[in-house]
Amino acid sequence: MRYVRSFFGFWYDFLVGDRPELFVGPIAALVLAWLAVRAGVPAPMTAGLLFVLVATVGGSSIAWAMRE
Amino acid sequence: MALLRQSATLAGMSSIALVTIISSFLASAVEFVEAVTIVLAVGVTRQWRSTLLGVVAALAALTLLVAIFGTAIVLFVPINVVRLVVGGFLLIYGLQWLTKAVLRAGGARAKHDEAAIYEREIAELQAEPPVPATGMDWISFTVATKGVLLEGLEVAFIVVTFGASAGMLGPAAAGAAVAGALVLGVAFLVHRPLEAVPENALKFAVGVMLTGFGTFWAGEGVGIDWPAGDATILALLAGYAVLALVGVYAVQGRLANRRLRVTAASPEH
Repeated sequence: MRYVRSFFGFWYDFLVGDRPELFVGPIAALVLAWLAVRAGVPAPMTAGLLFVLVATVGGSSIAWAMRE
Repeated sequence: MALLRQSATLAGMSSIALVTIISSFLASAVEFVEAVTIVLAVGVTRQWRSTLLGVVAALAALTLLVAIFGTAIVLFVPINVVRLVVGGFLLIYGLQWLTKAVLRAGGARAKHDEAAIYEREIAELQAEPPVPATGMDWISFTVATKGVLLEGLEVAFIVVTFGASAGMLGPAAAGAAVAGALVLGVAFLVHRPLEAVPENALKFAVGVMLTGFGTFWAGEGVGIDWPAGDATILALLAGYAVLALVGVYAVQGRLANRRLRVTAASPEH
Protein backbone atom coordinates (compact mmCIF):
# COMPACT_ATOMS: atom_id res chain seq x y z
CA MET A 1 0.00 0.00 0.00
CA ARG A 2 2.87 2.34 0.89
CA TYR A 3 4.50 1.66 -2.51
CA VAL A 4 1.23 2.30 -4.37
CA ARG A 5 0.79 5.59 -2.50
CA SER A 6 4.36 6.69 -3.19
CA PHE A 7 4.02 5.64 -6.87
CA PHE A 8 0.92 7.83 -7.33
CA GLY A 9 2.48 10.54 -5.17
CA PHE A 10 5.49 10.62 -7.49
CA TRP A 11 3.32 10.98 -10.62
CA TYR A 12 1.15 13.61 -8.91
CA ASP A 13 4.24 15.65 -8.08
CA PHE A 14 5.63 15.06 -11.57
CA LEU A 15 2.55 16.15 -13.50
CA VAL A 16 0.55 18.37 -11.16
CA GLY A 17 3.16 19.63 -8.70
CA ASP A 18 2.46 22.82 -6.80
CA ARG A 19 0.34 24.44 -9.54
CA PRO A 20 -2.80 22.32 -10.17
CA GLU A 21 -4.20 25.00 -12.52
CA LEU A 22 -1.44 24.12 -15.00
CA PHE A 23 -2.75 20.55 -15.07
CA VAL A 24 -6.48 21.28 -15.15
CA GLY A 25 -6.24 24.39 -17.37
CA PRO A 26 -4.72 22.78 -20.49
CA ILE A 27 -7.15 19.84 -20.22
CA ALA A 28 -10.09 22.28 -20.03
CA ALA A 29 -8.65 24.20 -23.00
CA LEU A 30 -8.43 20.99 -25.03
CA VAL A 31 -12.01 20.03 -24.11
CA LEU A 32 -13.24 23.46 -25.27
CA ALA A 33 -11.25 23.16 -28.50
CA TRP A 34 -12.71 19.69 -29.08
CA LEU A 35 -16.24 21.08 -28.53
CA ALA A 36 -15.49 23.89 -31.01
CA VAL A 37 -14.31 21.33 -33.61
CA ARG A 38 -17.47 19.25 -33.03
CA ALA A 39 -19.66 22.37 -33.36
CA GLY A 40 -18.12 23.05 -36.77
CA VAL A 41 -16.30 26.27 -35.83
CA PRO A 42 -13.90 27.16 -38.71
CA ALA A 43 -10.38 25.70 -38.30
CA PRO A 44 -8.47 29.04 -38.02
CA MET A 45 -10.83 30.17 -35.23
CA THR A 46 -10.47 26.87 -33.35
CA ALA A 47 -6.69 27.05 -33.68
CA GLY A 48 -6.69 30.63 -32.40
CA LEU A 49 -9.04 29.67 -29.57
CA LEU A 50 -6.70 26.91 -28.34
CA PHE A 51 -3.68 29.25 -28.48
CA VAL A 52 -5.54 31.99 -26.57
CA LEU A 53 -6.85 29.52 -23.95
CA VAL A 54 -3.40 28.02 -23.33
CA ALA A 55 -1.86 31.51 -23.09
CA THR A 56 -4.62 32.55 -20.66
CA VAL A 57 -3.95 29.52 -18.45
CA GLY A 58 -0.23 30.32 -18.36
CA GLY A 59 -0.82 34.03 -17.73
CA SER A 60 -3.34 33.36 -14.95
CA SER A 61 -0.98 30.92 -13.25
CA ILE A 62 1.80 33.54 -13.29
CA ALA A 63 -0.60 36.17 -11.92
CA TRP A 64 -1.66 33.82 -9.08
CA ALA A 65 1.95 32.98 -8.30
CA MET A 66 2.71 36.71 -8.04
CA ARG A 67 -0.17 37.24 -5.61
CA GLU A 68 1.01 34.43 -3.28
CA MET B 1 3.73 19.92 -59.11
CA ALA B 2 3.70 16.52 -57.40
CA LEU B 3 7.48 16.66 -57.18
CA LEU B 4 7.27 20.13 -55.61
CA ARG B 5 4.73 18.92 -53.03
CA GLN B 6 6.84 15.84 -52.30
CA SER B 7 9.97 17.92 -51.74
CA ALA B 8 7.99 20.35 -49.54
CA THR B 9 6.77 17.37 -47.45
CA LEU B 10 10.32 16.04 -47.17
CA ALA B 11 11.62 19.49 -46.18
CA GLY B 12 8.82 19.73 -43.59
CA MET B 13 9.69 16.26 -42.23
CA SER B 14 13.39 17.05 -41.96
CA SER B 15 12.72 20.41 -40.28
CA ILE B 16 10.45 18.67 -37.73
CA ALA B 17 13.17 16.06 -37.17
CA LEU B 18 15.69 18.85 -36.63
CA VAL B 19 13.43 20.73 -34.20
CA THR B 20 12.71 17.42 -32.41
CA ILE B 21 16.45 16.77 -32.01
CA ILE B 22 17.12 20.34 -30.82
CA SER B 23 14.20 20.33 -28.34
CA SER B 24 15.14 16.93 -26.96
CA PHE B 25 18.82 17.97 -26.79
CA LEU B 26 18.10 21.21 -24.87
CA ALA B 27 15.58 19.67 -22.46
CA SER B 28 17.87 16.71 -21.77
CA ALA B 29 20.94 18.93 -21.33
CA VAL B 30 19.17 20.85 -18.55
CA GLU B 31 18.23 17.64 -16.73
CA PHE B 32 21.67 16.06 -17.24
CA VAL B 33 23.35 19.16 -15.75
CA GLU B 34 21.21 18.68 -12.61
CA ALA B 35 22.00 14.94 -12.48
CA VAL B 36 25.74 15.58 -12.94
CA THR B 37 25.72 17.96 -9.94
CA ILE B 38 24.43 15.14 -7.71
CA VAL B 39 26.82 12.56 -9.18
CA LEU B 40 29.83 14.85 -8.71
CA ALA B 41 28.86 15.62 -5.13
CA VAL B 42 28.56 11.90 -4.31
CA GLY B 43 31.73 10.90 -6.15
CA VAL B 44 33.89 13.64 -4.66
CA THR B 45 32.57 13.17 -1.10
CA ARG B 46 32.35 9.38 -0.99
CA GLN B 47 33.44 6.71 -3.50
CA TRP B 48 33.65 7.03 -7.29
CA ARG B 49 33.35 3.30 -8.12
CA SER B 50 29.99 2.84 -6.35
CA THR B 51 28.76 6.22 -7.67
CA LEU B 52 29.53 5.31 -11.28
CA LEU B 53 27.89 1.88 -10.84
CA GLY B 54 24.80 3.73 -9.61
CA VAL B 55 24.88 5.96 -12.71
CA VAL B 56 25.17 2.92 -15.00
CA ALA B 57 22.26 1.18 -13.22
CA ALA B 58 20.06 4.27 -13.58
CA LEU B 59 20.98 4.78 -17.26
CA ALA B 60 20.22 1.11 -18.00
CA ALA B 61 16.80 1.42 -16.32
CA LEU B 62 16.04 4.62 -18.28
CA THR B 63 17.09 3.11 -21.63
CA LEU B 64 14.84 0.13 -20.93
CA LEU B 65 11.92 2.44 -20.03
CA VAL B 66 12.27 4.51 -23.22
CA ALA B 67 12.65 1.39 -25.37
CA ILE B 68 9.62 -0.38 -23.86
CA PHE B 69 7.20 2.55 -23.52
CA GLY B 70 8.37 4.41 -26.62
CA THR B 71 8.11 1.36 -28.88
CA ALA B 72 4.83 0.21 -27.33
CA ILE B 73 3.23 3.64 -27.79
CA VAL B 74 4.49 4.04 -31.38
CA LEU B 75 3.48 0.50 -32.41
CA PHE B 76 0.22 -0.17 -30.61
CA VAL B 77 -1.57 3.13 -29.92
CA PRO B 78 -3.41 4.94 -32.77
CA ILE B 79 -1.57 8.13 -33.76
CA ASN B 80 -4.54 10.44 -32.97
CA VAL B 81 -4.82 9.04 -29.45
CA VAL B 82 -1.04 9.37 -29.01
CA ARG B 83 -1.17 12.98 -30.17
CA LEU B 84 -4.06 13.86 -27.88
CA VAL B 85 -2.80 12.15 -24.71
CA VAL B 86 0.93 12.57 -25.17
CA GLY B 87 0.55 16.04 -26.71
CA GLY B 88 -1.65 16.95 -23.74
CA PHE B 89 1.04 15.84 -21.30
CA LEU B 90 3.65 17.74 -23.31
CA LEU B 91 1.48 20.85 -23.15
CA ILE B 92 1.00 20.53 -19.36
CA TYR B 93 4.67 19.87 -18.78
CA GLY B 94 5.79 22.65 -21.14
CA LEU B 95 3.49 25.19 -19.51
CA GLN B 96 4.91 24.27 -16.08
CA TRP B 97 8.47 24.84 -17.34
CA LEU B 98 7.54 28.05 -19.12
CA THR B 99 5.65 29.70 -16.25
CA LYS B 100 8.47 28.84 -13.81
CA ALA B 101 11.02 30.21 -16.31
CA VAL B 102 9.03 33.45 -16.68
CA LEU B 103 8.83 33.87 -12.89
CA ARG B 104 12.59 33.19 -12.56
CA ALA B 105 13.52 35.54 -15.41
CA GLY B 106 11.28 38.23 -13.92
CA GLY B 107 12.92 37.87 -10.51
CA ALA B 108 9.88 36.49 -8.65
CA ARG B 109 11.44 33.07 -8.10
CA ALA B 110 14.97 32.06 -7.12
CA LYS B 111 17.13 31.00 -10.06
CA HIS B 112 18.49 27.48 -10.20
CA ASP B 113 21.97 27.61 -8.66
CA GLU B 114 24.03 24.47 -9.34
CA ALA B 115 26.87 25.64 -7.04
CA ALA B 116 24.48 26.02 -4.08
CA ILE B 117 22.85 22.64 -4.79
CA TYR B 118 26.33 21.05 -4.99
CA GLU B 119 27.35 22.51 -1.61
CA ARG B 120 24.06 21.36 0.00
CA GLU B 121 24.48 17.81 -1.39
CA ILE B 122 28.04 17.64 -0.06
CA ALA B 123 26.95 18.82 3.40
CA GLU B 124 24.19 16.16 3.49
CA LEU B 125 26.56 13.40 2.33
CA GLN B 126 29.19 14.30 4.92
CA ALA B 127 26.59 13.70 7.63
CA GLU B 128 26.16 10.07 6.45
CA PRO B 129 28.12 7.11 7.98
CA PRO B 130 31.74 6.83 6.67
CA VAL B 131 32.61 5.03 3.42
CA PRO B 132 33.44 1.32 4.05
CA ALA B 133 37.17 0.54 3.70
CA THR B 134 36.52 -2.25 1.18
CA GLY B 135 33.70 -3.22 -1.19
CA MET B 136 30.63 -1.37 -2.27
CA ASP B 137 29.45 1.92 -0.71
CA TRP B 138 25.69 1.53 -0.94
CA ILE B 139 25.02 5.15 0.04
CA SER B 140 26.99 6.38 -3.00
CA PHE B 141 25.24 3.83 -5.22
CA THR B 142 21.74 4.67 -3.96
CA VAL B 143 22.10 8.47 -4.03
CA ALA B 144 23.66 8.42 -7.53
CA THR B 145 21.05 5.98 -8.88
CA LYS B 146 18.18 7.97 -7.38
CA GLY B 147 19.51 11.31 -8.63
CA VAL B 148 20.15 10.14 -12.18
CA LEU B 149 16.90 8.15 -12.29
CA LEU B 150 14.73 11.07 -11.11
CA GLU B 151 16.32 13.67 -13.40
CA GLY B 152 16.55 11.08 -16.19
CA LEU B 153 12.85 10.24 -15.90
CA GLU B 154 12.10 13.78 -17.09
CA VAL B 155 14.42 13.19 -20.05
CA ALA B 156 12.71 9.85 -20.76
CA PHE B 157 9.30 11.52 -20.51
CA ILE B 158 10.29 14.23 -23.00
CA VAL B 159 11.94 11.76 -25.40
CA VAL B 160 8.96 9.40 -25.38
CA THR B 161 6.34 12.15 -25.69
CA PHE B 162 8.23 14.09 -28.35
CA GLY B 163 9.24 10.99 -30.25
CA ALA B 164 5.81 9.36 -30.16
CA SER B 165 3.85 12.52 -31.10
CA ALA B 166 6.08 13.41 -34.02
CA GLY B 167 6.67 9.76 -34.94
CA MET B 168 10.37 10.45 -34.42
CA LEU B 169 11.52 8.42 -31.45
CA GLY B 170 14.97 7.93 -33.03
CA PRO B 171 15.81 11.65 -33.49
CA ALA B 172 14.41 12.47 -30.01
CA ALA B 173 16.52 9.74 -28.40
CA ALA B 174 19.56 10.85 -30.43
CA GLY B 175 19.16 14.44 -29.18
CA ALA B 176 19.02 13.23 -25.58
CA ALA B 177 21.99 10.88 -26.05
CA VAL B 178 24.16 13.66 -27.53
CA ALA B 179 23.17 15.99 -24.65
CA GLY B 180 24.04 13.29 -22.11
CA ALA B 181 27.40 12.54 -23.70
CA LEU B 182 28.26 16.25 -23.97
CA VAL B 183 27.30 17.14 -20.39
CA LEU B 184 29.04 14.05 -18.95
CA GLY B 185 32.13 14.72 -21.06
CA VAL B 186 32.41 18.36 -19.98
CA ALA B 187 31.74 17.45 -16.33
CA PHE B 188 34.45 14.76 -16.53
CA LEU B 189 36.92 17.32 -17.89
CA VAL B 190 36.18 20.22 -15.51
CA HIS B 191 35.38 17.97 -12.53
CA ARG B 192 33.02 20.45 -10.87
CA PRO B 193 29.34 21.48 -11.23
CA LEU B 194 28.50 23.08 -14.57
CA GLU B 195 27.60 26.53 -13.25
CA ALA B 196 28.38 28.26 -16.55
CA VAL B 197 25.53 26.50 -18.37
CA PRO B 198 22.74 29.09 -18.79
CA GLU B 199 20.23 26.71 -17.21
CA ASN B 200 17.44 29.26 -16.72
CA ALA B 201 17.64 30.53 -20.31
CA LEU B 202 17.63 26.93 -21.54
CA LYS B 203 14.55 26.17 -19.45
CA PHE B 204 12.84 29.22 -20.93
CA ALA B 205 13.56 28.04 -24.49
CA VAL B 206 12.57 24.46 -23.72
CA GLY B 207 9.35 25.64 -22.05
CA VAL B 208 8.41 27.53 -25.23
CA MET B 209 9.22 24.50 -27.38
CA LEU B 210 7.32 21.97 -25.26
CA THR B 211 4.28 24.27 -25.00
CA GLY B 212 4.30 24.96 -28.76
CA PHE B 213 4.66 21.33 -29.77
CA GLY B 214 2.21 20.20 -27.09
CA THR B 215 -0.42 22.66 -28.37
CA PHE B 216 0.13 21.47 -31.95
CA TRP B 217 -0.01 17.71 -31.30
CA ALA B 218 -2.83 17.86 -28.74
CA GLY B 219 -4.71 20.21 -31.09
CA GLU B 220 -4.40 17.65 -33.89
CA GLY B 221 -5.58 15.04 -31.41
CA VAL B 222 -8.84 16.91 -30.75
CA GLY B 223 -9.34 17.32 -34.50
CA ILE B 224 -8.00 20.81 -35.23
CA ASP B 225 -6.94 21.19 -38.86
CA TRP B 226 -4.08 23.66 -38.39
CA PRO B 227 -4.34 26.40 -41.05
CA ALA B 228 -0.73 26.22 -42.27
CA GLY B 229 -0.10 22.54 -41.54
CA ASP B 230 3.22 21.74 -39.86
CA ALA B 231 4.42 25.33 -40.41
CA THR B 232 1.90 26.37 -37.71
CA ILE B 233 4.38 24.98 -35.17
CA LEU B 234 6.73 27.87 -35.96
CA ALA B 235 3.92 30.40 -35.50
CA LEU B 236 2.97 28.80 -32.16
CA LEU B 237 6.59 28.86 -30.98
CA ALA B 238 6.95 32.52 -31.98
CA GLY B 239 3.61 33.41 -30.34
CA TYR B 240 4.45 31.72 -27.02
CA ALA B 241 7.97 33.19 -27.02
CA VAL B 242 6.61 36.73 -27.46
CA LEU B 243 3.94 36.23 -24.77
CA ALA B 244 6.51 34.74 -22.37
CA LEU B 245 8.79 37.76 -22.84
CA VAL B 246 5.82 40.06 -22.22
CA GLY B 247 5.19 37.99 -19.08
CA VAL B 248 8.77 38.55 -17.90
CA TYR B 249 8.40 42.33 -18.30
CA ALA B 250 5.02 42.24 -16.53
CA VAL B 251 6.51 40.31 -13.59
CA GLN B 252 9.47 42.72 -13.39
CA GLY B 253 7.11 45.72 -13.51
CA ARG B 254 4.90 44.30 -10.79
CA LEU B 255 7.87 43.57 -8.51
CA ALA B 256 9.22 47.10 -9.09
CA ASN B 257 5.81 48.59 -8.19
CA ARG B 258 5.67 46.44 -5.06
CA ARG B 259 9.16 47.61 -4.01
CA LEU B 260 8.15 51.24 -4.59
CA ARG B 261 5.02 50.81 -2.44
CA VAL B 262 7.08 49.20 0.36
CA THR B 263 9.64 52.01 0.19
CA ALA B 264 6.90 54.67 0.24
CA ALA B 265 5.21 53.02 3.24
CA SER B 266 8.44 52.67 5.26
CA PRO B 267 8.75 55.08 8.30
CA GLU B 268 11.79 56.94 6.88
CA HIS B 269 9.67 58.30 4.03
